[in-house]
Amino acid sequence: MEMINGVTVAVVLFGIGLLGLIIRRDLVIKLLALGLVDSSVTLALVSLDARQDALTPIWQGAGLAYVDPLPHALVLAAIVINFALLALALVFVMLLVERYHTTDSHRIAHEIGRETEE
Amino acid sequence: MTATALLLLLPPIAIFALASRRRLTAVMSMGLLSLILAAVYLLARAPDVAITEAAIGAALVTLIYLLAIRRSGRLSVVCSEVPQLFFREGKRFDGLEHEILAGFAHELGLDLVVSILPHSELREALGRGEAEIAAGGIIPGEQSRSVLCTTGFLPTAVFRITGEGHIPHSHSDVLDYMSDTLDAIRSRRLASCDLDLARFIPVSRLDLTGYTVQRLEGREASYSFLVASDRPDLRDRLTTHIESLKESGELERMIARYLR
Amino acid sequence: MRTSKLAQTTAALVLVACACAIIAFGFSYRGPLDRPNPYLSRATTDTGATNLVAGIYLDYRLYDSLFELLVFSVAVLGVRFYLGTTRQSPNTKAIPESQAVRASADLLFSPILLIGVYLILFGHLSPGGGFSGGAVAGTGLLLCAVALGAETVARRFHSTQLELFEWGALFVVLLLVLIPLIFGLSPFTDLLPRGAPGELLSGGTLLIYNVLIGIKVFVGTWVVISTFIRHRGEI
Repeated sequence: MEMINGVTVAVVLFGIGLLGLIIRRDLVIKLLALGLVDSSVTLALVSLDARQDALTPIWQGAGLAYVDPLPHALVLAAIVINFALLALALVFVMLLVERYHTTDSHRIAHEIGRETEE
Repeated sequence: MTATALLLLLPPIAIFALASRRRLTAVMSMGLLSLILAAVYLLARAPDVAITEAAIGAALVTLIYLLAIRRSGRLSVVCSEVPQLFFREGKRFDGLEHEILAGFAHELGLDLVVSILPHSELREALGRGEAEIAAGGIIPGEQSRSVLCTTGFLPTAVFRITGEGHIPHSHSDVLDYMSDTLDAIRSRRLASCDLDLARFIPVSRLDLTGYTVQRLEGREASYSFLVASDRPDLRDRLTTHIESLKESGELERMIARYLR
Repeated sequence: MRTSKLAQTTAALVLVACACAIIAFGFSYRGPLDRPNPYLSRATTDTGATNLVAGIYLDYRLYDSLFELLVFSVAVLGVRFYLGTTRQSPNTKAIPESQAVRASADLLFSPILLIGVYLILFGHLSPGGGFSGGAVAGTGLLLCAVALGAETVARRFHSTQLELFEWGALFVVLLLVLIPLIFGLSPFTDLLPRGAPGELLSGGTLLIYNVLIGIKVFVGTWVVISTFIRHRGEI
């Protein structure tokens, strides 16, 4: 079971999220898939140096092995910011739905194409 | 060991979330995925990240989505666009059916929210729980278990148009959106289809050379609304509303306004 | 040009498989693992923080944290502005009246806020920090808004003053970052004394930055949540 580590699962989740983003037509599901892609990236970063035999990066004394705290610092802010950006994306989806009265991305593209033709 | 088990749980939940038909199941599954992810972060010696992911992924993001797709305080209607009955006038909706439903929503004290769907998907959407009422020139055909039906409010007839040299048949897939139907007739791509009265009126204004039109006898029916099967109370109230409109003569006036 | 659904799905699968392969290849590089982060041994003496993660994002990489705050502020501003153009919903009770929600909100609101404040204040000593504590405190306020209705909570917390706090926190962070310029040092330098590691008042300006970031994230999440409750979308 050496191959099952965080990075592998993160790549798999990234693939699933990307596939969902491309294939599903509903705008809300597309956003959820995008959120999954974000989560997979944070998982990959955190599990770069995740070891069972090292300690949490709280200073307990010199000479001990700690998990690398640098990815944690990057990921911490990234999670909070992803939430704010996801909220903004959801706002734009809501505005789109209010305009075209449907959450089907194909139908919205069709309507926009029809509008630009006129 | 536990970390590996939790990690292996993630892809199936992700696939289940992104492949689900209902938006609610997708959102809740993603919340569950965030929670398990937080547990994985804890086991990976990252407590700060675990706390943040649990608070944001499981609580805030899930709640944002739920607030966006909530249906409390609103009457959700799916419809297909039909001229005179339910159509868009610039940014707002108008039409006979829209006015009936708007009055009904106002009586209940709810907001009216409309989504446009292809005509063939209306029943499915009701069955999935995406909306409570379906409208848009529906002639109830065979009764099915998943939807209920109100009383008819407007009798109609069925017309069949057939292109030159084509065999008349009833089924046509361009009937989903009215604009697509009109385009198909203009470009003569349409072989044959059945149209009810409201849909037939704009078609009859087009140049119909090469098409034969016949009115089908024995297919008299009446427009009505469909209601989701878990809301019989809503169906009864809507039926009562339509009946009271008929009695007071308001329905006659609305029909005169839209269909003359 | 209409492609069949099968062709579309296959194309999507091939594209995603290529993307995953490239990423997996990117992660497959393994440098020498026996060389740990060279800053690990110096972090506590440099920054005065026991929590090494806080030491990194509040001292070594303060530059990144500043811009992360700015991105967060702009996103919240965008949510407030764009969702403000839709119509308001008549009732601001997000979830219909429920005894269970009300009871649990009464019980849990104070502990959640307390945990949030603890995470912010002790962020440089134990796991937590400004971002985590702010998010947790925002969750507490969210629970209150769901149970009582956004209007009640907004009135109680004086929404407009809260937003003043948010922008005030951002400007104070900017000022603090630029103050070392007066003394001829480069910005983002930590001027306050380090103190003994493990004490609450240690780490120089770390505590102040944690508190400011905590306030910013807390108010930001509250603005987002209250805007979503008040303005009804049409999904």
